[in-house]
Amino acid sequence: MESAFRRGAREGMRAFLPISVGLVPWAIVTGIAMRSIGLSEVEAMGMSLLVFAATAQLGTLPLIASGAPLWLIFLTGLVLNLRFVIFSAAVAPAFHGHSLARRLASSYLLVDGVFVAVSEKLHTSDDPQWRWGCYLVPSLYGWTLWQVCSLVGVLGAGVVPRDWSLEFMATIALMIMLVPMVRTRPMLLAAVVGGLGTVLLRGLPLRLGLFVAIALGIAAGFAAEHWQERRAAR
Amino acid sequence: MIEGVWLWITFAALALTTVITRGSFILIGEKGRLPPTVQRALRYAPASALAALIVPDLLLDHGHFHAFNPKLVAGAVIVAIALRTRNPWLPFILGMGVLIALRKGLGW
Repeated sequence: MESAFRRGAREGMRAFLPISVGLVPWAIVTGIAMRSIGLSEVEAMGMSLLVFAATAQLGTLPLIASGAPLWLIFLTGLVLNLRFVIFSAAVAPAFHGHSLARRLASSYLLVDGVFVAVSEKLHTSDDPQWRWGCYLVPSLYGWTLWQVCSLVGVLGAGVVPRDWSLEFMATIALMIMLVPMVRTRPMLLAAVVGGLGTVLLRGLPLRLGLFVAIALGIAAGFAAEHWQERRAAR
Repeated sequence: MIEGVWLWITFAALALTTVITRGSFILIGEKGRLPPTVQRALRYAPASALAALIVPDLLLDHGHFHAFNPKLVAGAVIVAIALRTRNPWLPFILGMGVLIALRKGLGW
Protein backbone atom coordinates (compact mmCIF):
# COMPACT_ATOMS: atom_id res chain seq x y z
CA MET A 1 0.00 0.00 0.00
CA GLU A 2 2.52 2.53 1.18
CA SER A 3 5.00 1.74 -1.53
CA ALA A 4 2.44 2.35 -4.31
CA PHE A 5 1.71 5.77 -2.76
CA ARG A 6 5.42 6.53 -2.60
CA ARG A 7 6.10 5.43 -6.15
CA GLY A 8 3.23 7.64 -7.33
CA ALA A 9 4.54 10.54 -5.28
CA ARG A 10 8.03 10.21 -6.75
CA GLU A 11 6.63 10.12 -10.29
CA GLY A 12 4.47 13.21 -9.64
CA MET A 13 7.30 15.17 -8.04
CA ARG A 14 9.67 14.37 -10.90
CA ALA A 15 7.20 15.98 -13.31
CA PHE A 16 6.24 18.98 -11.16
CA LEU A 17 9.57 19.95 -9.55
CA PRO A 18 11.17 21.62 -12.63
CA ILE A 19 8.14 23.82 -13.40
CA SER A 20 7.44 24.67 -9.77
CA VAL A 21 10.20 27.34 -9.91
CA GLY A 22 7.79 29.49 -11.93
CA LEU A 23 5.57 29.79 -8.84
CA VAL A 24 8.16 31.78 -6.90
CA PRO A 25 7.96 35.26 -8.52
CA TRP A 26 4.22 34.84 -9.11
CA ALA A 27 3.57 34.17 -5.41
CA ILE A 28 5.84 36.99 -4.24
CA VAL A 29 4.07 39.44 -6.57
CA THR A 30 0.65 38.27 -5.38
CA GLY A 31 1.79 38.91 -1.82
CA ILE A 32 3.02 42.40 -2.70
CA ALA A 33 -0.13 43.20 -4.71
CA MET A 34 -2.42 42.28 -1.81
CA ARG A 35 -0.51 44.64 0.50
CA SER A 36 -0.42 47.40 -2.13
CA ILE A 37 -4.21 47.89 -2.01
CA GLY A 38 -4.06 48.28 1.76
CA LEU A 39 -4.67 44.82 3.20
CA SER A 40 -2.87 44.13 6.50
CA GLU A 41 -0.39 41.24 6.77
CA VAL A 42 -3.00 39.04 8.47
CA GLU A 43 -5.72 39.91 5.94
CA ALA A 44 -3.39 39.26 3.01
CA MET A 45 -2.31 35.84 4.33
CA GLY A 46 -5.93 35.05 5.20
CA MET A 47 -6.89 35.73 1.59
CA SER A 48 -3.96 33.65 0.36
CA LEU A 49 -4.88 30.63 2.53
CA LEU A 50 -8.64 30.81 1.93
CA VAL A 51 -8.77 31.63 -1.77
CA PHE A 52 -5.52 29.99 -2.97
CA ALA A 53 -6.12 31.12 -6.58
CA ALA A 54 -3.70 33.76 -7.82
CA THR A 55 -5.66 34.90 -10.86
CA ALA A 56 -8.87 35.32 -8.88
CA GLN A 57 -6.96 37.11 -6.09
CA LEU A 58 -5.13 39.51 -8.42
CA GLY A 59 -8.21 40.10 -10.56
CA THR A 60 -10.51 40.97 -7.67
CA LEU A 61 -8.05 43.17 -5.72
CA PRO A 62 -9.02 46.35 -7.64
CA LEU A 63 -12.70 45.55 -6.96
CA ILE A 64 -12.01 45.07 -3.23
CA ALA A 65 -10.02 48.32 -3.20
CA SER A 66 -12.85 50.28 -4.83
CA GLY A 67 -15.51 48.78 -2.53
CA ALA A 68 -17.41 46.96 -5.29
CA PRO A 69 -20.54 44.96 -4.33
CA LEU A 70 -20.00 41.40 -3.08
CA TRP A 71 -21.92 39.71 -5.91
CA LEU A 72 -19.72 41.43 -8.47
CA ILE A 73 -16.54 40.26 -6.73
CA PHE A 74 -17.99 36.75 -6.44
CA LEU A 75 -18.91 36.61 -10.15
CA THR A 76 -15.52 37.98 -11.19
CA GLY A 77 -13.77 35.32 -9.08
CA LEU A 78 -16.01 32.68 -10.61
CA VAL A 79 -15.23 33.73 -14.18
CA LEU A 80 -11.50 33.88 -13.46
CA ASN A 81 -11.66 30.37 -12.01
CA LEU A 82 -13.78 28.91 -14.83
CA ARG A 83 -10.81 27.18 -16.46
CA PHE A 84 -10.67 24.88 -13.43
CA VAL A 85 -14.03 23.36 -14.44
CA ILE A 86 -12.22 21.93 -17.45
CA PHE A 87 -9.28 20.75 -15.32
CA SER A 88 -11.70 19.25 -12.80
CA ALA A 89 -13.49 17.30 -15.52
CA ALA A 90 -10.15 16.04 -16.81
CA VAL A 91 -8.78 14.73 -13.48
CA ALA A 92 -12.08 13.62 -11.89
CA PRO A 93 -11.85 9.95 -13.04
CA ALA A 94 -8.63 9.60 -11.01
CA PHE A 95 -10.56 10.25 -7.77
CA HIS A 96 -13.48 7.87 -8.28
CA GLY A 97 -13.93 5.78 -5.17
CA HIS A 98 -12.01 8.15 -2.92
CA SER A 99 -13.67 9.60 0.21
CA LEU A 100 -15.45 12.96 0.15
CA ALA A 101 -12.77 14.47 2.42
CA ARG A 102 -10.03 13.46 -0.01
CA ARG A 103 -12.00 14.78 -2.98
CA LEU A 104 -12.60 18.11 -1.17
CA ALA A 105 -8.89 18.42 -0.42
CA SER A 106 -8.04 17.53 -4.03
CA SER A 107 -10.45 20.22 -5.23
CA TYR A 108 -8.94 22.97 -3.07
CA LEU A 109 -5.42 21.95 -4.13
CA LEU A 110 -6.05 21.75 -7.90
CA VAL A 111 -3.78 24.34 -9.58
CA ASP A 112 -2.50 24.95 -13.10
CA GLY A 113 1.09 23.77 -12.58
CA VAL A 114 0.28 20.44 -10.95
CA PHE A 115 -2.50 19.84 -13.47
CA VAL A 116 -0.14 20.36 -16.38
CA ALA A 117 2.48 18.10 -14.78
CA VAL A 118 0.43 15.10 -13.65
CA SER A 119 -3.01 15.03 -15.36
CA GLU A 120 -1.83 12.65 -18.10
CA LYS A 121 0.01 10.40 -15.64
CA LEU A 122 -3.09 10.02 -13.46
CA HIS A 123 -4.75 7.97 -16.18
CA THR A 124 -1.81 5.60 -16.59
CA SER A 125 -2.26 3.68 -13.33
CA ASP A 126 -5.07 1.46 -12.07
CA ASP A 127 -3.83 1.70 -8.50
CA PRO A 128 -5.80 4.36 -6.55
CA GLN A 129 -2.99 4.65 -3.98
CA TRP A 130 -0.44 5.36 -6.71
CA ARG A 131 -2.72 8.03 -8.21
CA TRP A 132 -3.32 9.58 -4.80
CA GLY A 133 0.43 9.88 -4.16
CA CYS A 134 1.11 11.20 -7.65
CA TYR A 135 -1.45 13.98 -7.15
CA LEU A 136 -1.30 14.77 -3.43
CA VAL A 137 2.45 15.06 -2.83
CA PRO A 138 3.25 17.54 -5.66
CA SER A 139 0.07 19.47 -4.77
CA LEU A 140 1.07 19.82 -1.10
CA TYR A 141 4.61 20.79 -2.09
CA GLY A 142 3.22 23.41 -4.52
CA TRP A 143 0.83 24.74 -1.88
CA THR A 144 3.63 25.09 0.69
CA LEU A 145 5.99 26.77 -1.77
CA TRP A 146 3.19 29.13 -2.81
CA GLN A 147 2.22 30.17 0.73
CA VAL A 148 5.83 30.67 1.86
CA CYS A 149 6.65 32.86 -1.17
CA SER A 150 3.39 34.80 -0.75
CA LEU A 151 4.41 35.46 2.85
CA VAL A 152 7.78 36.75 1.61
CA GLY A 153 5.91 39.19 -0.67
CA VAL A 154 3.46 40.20 2.05
CA LEU A 155 6.25 40.94 4.54
CA GLY A 156 8.56 42.48 1.94
CA ALA A 157 5.96 44.85 0.47
CA GLY A 158 6.45 47.37 3.27
CA VAL A 159 10.10 47.91 2.32
CA VAL A 160 9.24 49.25 -1.16
CA PRO A 161 8.39 52.97 -1.46
CA ARG A 162 4.68 53.76 -1.86
CA ASP A 163 4.97 55.76 -5.08
CA TRP A 164 6.42 52.86 -7.10
CA SER A 165 2.96 51.88 -8.40
CA LEU A 166 3.43 48.30 -7.17
CA GLU A 167 -0.22 47.50 -7.93
CA PHE A 168 0.87 47.39 -11.59
CA MET A 169 2.66 44.12 -10.78
CA ALA A 170 -0.76 42.46 -10.61
CA THR A 171 -1.41 43.51 -14.20
CA ILE A 172 2.04 42.26 -15.25
CA ALA A 173 1.32 38.89 -13.61
CA LEU A 174 -1.98 38.61 -15.47
CA MET A 175 -0.24 39.54 -18.75
CA ILE A 176 2.39 36.81 -18.29
CA MET A 177 -0.44 34.36 -17.95
CA LEU A 178 -2.31 35.69 -20.98
CA VAL A 179 0.53 35.94 -23.53
CA PRO A 180 1.25 32.18 -23.91
CA MET A 181 -2.51 31.53 -24.10
CA VAL A 182 -3.11 33.56 -27.24
CA ARG A 183 -1.05 31.48 -29.67
CA THR A 184 -4.04 30.73 -31.93
CA ARG A 185 -6.16 33.27 -33.81
CA PRO A 186 -9.48 32.38 -32.16
CA MET A 187 -7.80 32.75 -28.75
CA LEU A 188 -6.34 36.12 -29.77
CA LEU A 189 -9.74 37.27 -30.98
CA ALA A 190 -11.35 36.21 -27.67
CA ALA A 191 -8.75 38.31 -25.81
CA VAL A 192 -9.09 41.36 -28.08
CA VAL A 193 -12.89 41.34 -27.87
CA GLY A 194 -12.87 40.76 -24.11
CA GLY A 195 -10.27 43.48 -23.51
CA LEU A 196 -11.46 46.24 -25.83
CA GLY A 197 -15.09 45.35 -25.10
CA THR A 198 -14.55 46.11 -21.42
CA VAL A 199 -13.07 49.53 -22.28
CA LEU A 200 -15.87 50.39 -24.74
CA LEU A 201 -18.67 49.14 -22.47
CA ARG A 202 -17.32 50.76 -19.28
CA GLY A 203 -20.34 53.11 -19.22
CA LEU A 204 -22.77 50.26 -18.43
CA PRO A 205 -24.15 50.33 -14.87
CA LEU A 206 -22.83 48.03 -12.07
CA ARG A 207 -19.73 47.23 -14.12
CA LEU A 208 -21.87 44.87 -16.18
CA GLY A 209 -19.70 45.82 -19.15
CA LEU A 210 -17.01 43.50 -17.75
CA PHE A 211 -19.25 40.45 -18.01
CA VAL A 212 -20.85 41.39 -21.31
CA ALA A 213 -17.37 41.87 -22.79
CA ILE A 214 -16.06 38.54 -21.40
CA ALA A 215 -19.13 36.73 -22.79
CA LEU A 216 -18.66 38.42 -26.17
CA GLY A 217 -14.99 37.41 -26.12
CA ILE A 218 -15.86 33.74 -25.46
CA ALA A 219 -18.49 33.83 -28.22
CA ALA A 220 -16.07 35.48 -30.66
CA GLY A 221 -13.33 32.91 -29.99
CA PHE A 222 -15.75 30.00 -30.30
CA ALA A 223 -17.26 31.39 -33.52
CA ALA A 224 -13.80 31.97 -35.01
CA GLU A 225 -12.80 28.38 -34.20
CA HIS A 226 -15.92 27.07 -35.97
CA TRP A 227 -15.29 29.26 -38.98
CA GLN A 228 -11.65 28.19 -39.16
CA GLU A 229 -12.63 24.51 -39.05
CA ARG A 230 -15.28 24.92 -41.74
CA ARG A 231 -12.76 26.61 -43.98
CA ALA A 232 -10.17 23.91 -43.37
CA ALA A 233 -12.71 21.18 -44.16
CA ARG A 234 -13.52 22.67 -47.53
CA MET B 1 -12.01 49.70 0.27
CA ILE B 2 -13.91 46.78 1.81
CA GLU B 3 -12.98 46.39 5.48
CA GLY B 4 -13.51 44.33 8.64
CA VAL B 5 -16.08 41.53 8.63
CA TRP B 6 -17.13 42.26 5.06
CA LEU B 7 -13.58 41.75 3.88
CA TRP B 8 -13.52 38.26 5.41
CA ILE B 9 -16.96 37.51 3.96
CA THR B 10 -15.55 38.55 0.58
CA PHE B 11 -12.59 36.19 1.05
CA ALA B 12 -15.00 33.38 1.98
CA ALA B 13 -17.06 34.05 -1.15
CA LEU B 14 -13.90 33.93 -3.27
CA ALA B 15 -12.82 30.71 -1.52
CA LEU B 16 -16.20 29.32 -2.56
CA THR B 17 -15.48 30.12 -6.23
CA THR B 18 -12.21 28.18 -5.87
CA VAL B 19 -13.88 25.06 -4.50
CA ILE B 20 -16.98 25.26 -6.77
CA THR B 21 -14.92 25.40 -9.96
CA ARG B 22 -12.07 23.08 -8.99
CA GLY B 23 -14.38 20.64 -7.27
CA SER B 24 -17.14 20.70 -9.90
CA PHE B 25 -16.41 17.31 -11.45
CA ILE B 26 -14.16 15.87 -8.73
CA LEU B 27 -16.98 16.18 -6.17
CA ILE B 28 -19.86 15.05 -8.42
CA GLY B 29 -18.07 11.76 -9.07
CA GLU B 30 -19.04 9.17 -11.68
CA LYS B 31 -22.14 10.84 -13.10
CA GLY B 32 -20.67 14.14 -14.22
CA ARG B 33 -19.52 14.81 -17.74
CA LEU B 34 -19.10 18.19 -19.47
CA PRO B 35 -20.79 18.50 -22.91
CA PRO B 36 -18.00 18.82 -25.54
CA THR B 37 -19.45 22.08 -26.92
CA VAL B 38 -19.46 23.70 -23.49
CA GLN B 39 -15.93 22.43 -22.87
CA ARG B 40 -14.72 23.98 -26.13
CA ALA B 41 -16.44 27.30 -25.44
CA LEU B 42 -15.04 27.43 -21.89
CA ARG B 43 -11.50 27.24 -23.25
CA TYR B 44 -11.91 30.86 -24.32
CA ALA B 45 -13.06 32.08 -20.90
CA PRO B 46 -9.62 32.62 -19.32
CA ALA B 47 -8.15 34.58 -22.26
CA SER B 48 -11.23 36.77 -22.53
CA ALA B 49 -11.44 37.37 -18.77
CA LEU B 50 -7.71 38.08 -18.34
CA ALA B 51 -7.76 40.60 -21.22
CA ALA B 52 -10.89 42.20 -19.75
CA LEU B 53 -8.90 42.93 -16.56
CA ILE B 54 -5.62 43.92 -18.23
CA VAL B 55 -6.69 46.19 -21.10
CA PRO B 56 -8.63 48.75 -19.02
CA ASP B 57 -5.62 49.16 -16.71
CA LEU B 58 -3.40 49.84 -19.74
CA LEU B 59 -5.75 52.20 -21.61
CA LEU B 60 -7.76 54.02 -18.94
CA ASP B 61 -6.69 56.62 -16.43
CA HIS B 62 -9.40 57.18 -13.80
CA GLY B 63 -12.05 56.09 -16.29
CA HIS B 64 -10.78 58.27 -19.14
CA PHE B 65 -9.30 56.92 -22.33
CA HIS B 66 -5.59 57.70 -22.81
CA ALA B 67 -4.19 55.95 -25.87
CA PHE B 68 -0.60 56.90 -25.08
CA ASN B 69 0.47 56.56 -21.46
CA PRO B 70 3.32 55.05 -19.39
CA LYS B 71 1.40 51.88 -18.54
CA LEU B 72 0.73 51.13 -22.20
CA VAL B 73 4.42 51.54 -23.06
CA ALA B 74 5.35 49.26 -20.13
CA GLY B 75 2.66 46.82 -21.31
CA ALA B 76 4.20 46.66 -24.80
CA VAL B 77 7.60 45.92 -23.24
CA ILE B 78 6.10 43.16 -21.07
CA VAL B 79 4.41 41.47 -24.07
CA ALA B 80 7.67 41.62 -26.04
CA ILE B 81 9.59 39.99 -23.16
CA ALA B 82 6.92 37.37 -22.46
CA LEU B 83 6.95 36.33 -26.13
CA ARG B 84 10.73 35.88 -26.18
CA THR B 85 11.65 34.32 -22.85
CA ARG B 86 10.19 32.00 -20.25
CA ASN B 87 12.23 33.72 -17.53
CA PRO B 88 9.70 34.30 -14.73
CA TRP B 89 11.43 37.41 -13.28
CA LEU B 90 12.30 39.51 -16.33
CA PRO B 91 8.79 40.84 -17.18
CA PHE B 92 8.34 42.10 -13.60
CA ILE B 93 11.76 43.74 -13.38
CA LEU B 94 11.75 45.39 -16.82
CA GLY B 95 8.01 46.19 -16.81
CA MET B 96 8.19 47.97 -13.45
CA GLY B 97 11.53 49.52 -14.47
CA VAL B 98 10.02 51.10 -17.59
CA LEU B 99 6.94 52.34 -15.73
CA ILE B 100 8.93 53.90 -12.88
CA ALA B 101 11.51 55.39 -15.28
CA LEU B 102 8.79 57.02 -17.39
CA ARG B 103 6.85 58.34 -14.40
CA LYS B 104 9.78 59.55 -12.31
CA GLY B 105 12.43 60.25 -14.94
CA LEU B 106 10.18 61.96 -17.45
CA GLY B 107 7.47 63.07 -15.02
CA TRP B 108 4.91 61.54 -17.39
